[in-house]
Amino acid sequence: SGELYCSLPNPRNVRFESINMKNVLHWSAPEGTDDGVLYKVKYAVYGVGKWIRKPECRNINRTWCDLSTETSDYEEQYYASVKAFLNGTCSDWMETTRFNPLTDTKIDPPMVSVSSTDRSISIILTAPEKWKSNPEEESISLLQVYPGLQYNVSVLNKKTKKRWLFSISNNTLVVPWLEPGTAYCVSAQIHVTTPVLDSGFSKEHCITTLKDK
Amino acid sequence: KTFHFGSCRVSMSLAEIRAGFTAIKANIQSRDPVRTLSILSHPHSLHKVKSSDRCCMTHQLFTFYVDKVFKHCRTEDSFVNRKISSIANSFLSARRKLGQCREQNNCVCGEESTEKFKQILANYEGLNVTSAAMKSLGELDILLDWMEKSR
Amino acid sequence: GDALLPAPQSVSILSTNMKHFLTWSPVIVLGATVRYSVEFQGEYEREYANGSWIPISECSLTTATVCNITEDISATVAYKLRVRAELGATRSPWATTKGFFSPTMTSLTPPELRVVADGHHILVELADMGPSFQFRVLYWKKGQDSRVQQKVMKEVSSVLHLDTMEAGAEYCVKAQTHVEAINRSSSFSPTQCVRAQGDTSMWL
Repeated sequence: SGELYCSLPNPRNVRFESINMKNVLHWSAPEGTDDGVLYKVKYAVYGVGKWIRKPECRNINRTWCDLSTETSDYEEQYYASVKAFLNGTCSDWMETTRFNPLTDTKIDPPMVSVSSTDRSISIILTAPEKWKSNPEEESISLLQVYPGLQYNVSVLNKKTKKRWLFSISNNTLVVPWLEPGTAYCVSAQIHVTTPVLDSGFSKEHCITTLKDK
Repeated sequence: KTFHFGSCRVSMSLAEIRAGFTAIKANIQSRDPVRTLSILSHPHSLHKVKSSDRCCMTHQLFTFYVDKVFKHCRTEDSFVNRKISSIANSFLSARRKLGQCREQNNCVCGEESTEKFKQILANYEGLNVTSAAMKSLGELDILLDWMEKSR
Repeated sequence: GDALLPAPQSVSILSTNMKHFLTWSPVIVLGATVRYSVEFQGEYEREYANGSWIPISECSLTTATVCNITEDISATVAYKLRVRAELGATRSPWATTKGFFSPTMTSLTPPELRVVADGHHILVELADMGPSFQFRVLYWKKGQDSRVQQKVMKEVSSVLHLDTMEAGAEYCVKAQTHVEAINRSSSFSPTQCVRAQGDTSMWL
């Protein structure tokens, strides 16, 4: 393809960073280069015989490229590659390791909504959705992607400082028989057994049970 | 965990296989330079195998790995060799569980799975044996991901 | 030169709660430090890899007389283990375990369980025993032994909520471990009973 003589140092640490299957290619600039370096990106579906250029990431000076759309089929695996250009010279193509969206993504914590009566709190959990580039697309919950998905729910009694853990499969939890007029803080985590994937715990949602009637 | 392969219902744990593979995935896949060929996923995808053919396809694939793949995957790395042994022995016990379905005649090989498995063997024979074996081992997650959809 | 060094004796496997150890008696050579090397062979190696043996690097040239083989003995098939003594270039014959070992032969002990009542809530703390383990927790209202309820728990990193209790009632709990990979369970832990807080009017 009439490539120039490539003596530029290579882009470094070329890898996918993926959250909820928003799959973004990241890299670091070649050693010793300041501004002015441009890049182009290509990707390949593993096992399919061609590399595909990403036009939106051609001659870019940033060091990332969103390949979510191109890697949205999580029954496939992928490679991506980056080449750098500066002052008429270029680097080699530098590849990622093989990327498996199903096992190599990170999962956000679930959304937590809490309501209370005087003696109980009700917790509703919502698993994050698989990333979609086009808002018009149909939403896919990660619950559909990972059938074995479960939730760990932590409930902290702010008065006694005691923390309880609930492990549930469905997305609602009612904790009855609580103390009236007491603050409880709830946070939740997603736990997938196979492949082994855990989200972090969500930030705490605190609510106070109503005063006793 | 209980797996449903068509009418075959088998309780087995893939956790040891998954853990063993995860520990050596980067090492094994880095030994496979060929991006444009796959043993398991192209041109036919495992994900297109009919439910009724899943038991037979799984049993054939387990036999393929035990008979053809693992023995050609010896490396200079003791840790990798030990993990391959752990995976290979786990395949033996998992295949034995599937054997129960074959005995109950719940593991029928339809035309589709026979055809797909032929393609997999053709993909395998298309490479020299060590490259083919290392590529197959590097694709274990494709097999595991597909199987875990059968839970 | 191998015959001068005797093979280790009393080679045996100790296995509890899916933790497996090979042990042997030391080979005594006055004024010298004898080292040992351990290898394992699974059913796959016997049937499909010409009876090959695989060294366990953590137990190669070790001075210890015990080797943690848990990581390698991970499939539910029949394994053989062997150990030999080494002194400089001299090696003893291999001492091989008699019969086979499989993780299904591990002995399972009841879980360490602590039951806590917190108001109307009954909570349990279970000691972590590793990723292979699940916990089957049985609980019932004292006197209603026929109405036992069950929960299977895997997450044991903290205080687990079991259920809510009727005011003032006494509840009893016991637990056993279950290892899915070998499809076996331990015996039950001793039963522990706790009493729920009395009538809610106590909170006025």
